[in-house]
Amino acid sequence: MTTLADVEVGTVIPPLELVVDGEKMKVMAALLADPNPIHFDTRALAALGMDERPVNQGPLNMGYLQTMLARWAGGRDRLLTFRVRFRGNVLAGDTVRAQGTVAEVRDTQRGRVATCDISLEVVGGDVALSGTADVLLEEAP
Amino acid sequence: MSDPSPIDPTDTDYADRVGREFPGGEYTLAPWRTWLVADTLLDDPWDEVPHPVLAWMAGVAGSGLTWDDLFAWFDASAEDGPMFGEHETTLHRPLEGGATYKVSGRIVSVERKVGRRAGAMDVVGYELDLHLPGAGGNGGGEHVARCYNSIVFPRRSA
Repeated sequence: MTTLADVEVGTVIPPLELVVDGEKMKVMAALLADPNPIHFDTRALAALGMDERPVNQGPLNMGYLQTMLARWAGGRDRLLTFRVRFRGNVLAGDTVRAQGTVAEVRDTQRGRVATCDISLEVVGGDVALSGTADVLLEEAP
Repeated sequence: MSDPSPIDPTDTDYADRVGREFPGGEYTLAPWRTWLVADTLLDDPWDEVPHPVLAWMAGVAGSGLTWDDLFAWFDASAEDGPMFGEHETTLHRPLEGGATYKVSGRIVSVERKVGRRAGAMDVVGYELDLHLPGAGGNGGGEHVARCYNSIVFPRRSA
């Protein structure tokens, strides 16, 4: 079994794949107090000439990647930095895959840290987010 | 007396907005909030450590500005189609469930770009800081997180 102690450049992070749920997007719209109807109102989307499937919120797309990193590293408290560029939309009903690969491993004051290349892609579609993240593998003694 | 001429954003230099501070405020990671955020992500709502995406959510909600307020600083509105550009979160320590964070923020960059297809656009960078209450910088105690973001404002009339 591979453990965090075995992590090296090129290690592939177990991907996280899920189906984007439009009902969860409605809850997130309320939590964000985001009035933009493209996240929940199919009639508004049609009026705008857009696909009638609501557009997922950026924070949800970011969150899928952070969840993947946290599960791999052993906890949400392991995420140190997270950088992404928004490259495309994710729509309700899409299947997305969060994935990543270790690009660097180094010792820091906080402990052993992996820098990972990460991306979120729509399965059968385009990349929605890409970037890098620093994850704490092992606390400094 | 005639009305003043409307502002044409394509003719306006927004560099003087760099350094402008957000009003700021507070944001509490209430248990119901952390539970629901994790649930919307299809993640474990019972995990004791709040999901990292709450750093960004806390910053935005505690900034003291609405999106419309921020857009108006750049003579734009939601109808102009502003877009997320980049995002960076730095967590100096993990988020804590139940904690109330002091939020401060500011504009850090404004850059005019011209794309071959998209035309003129202003790329505005801003950052948001979360501090625990107490004595220290930015009116708060320990610096917990910083979120940098950029927004792209299309300037289609250029």
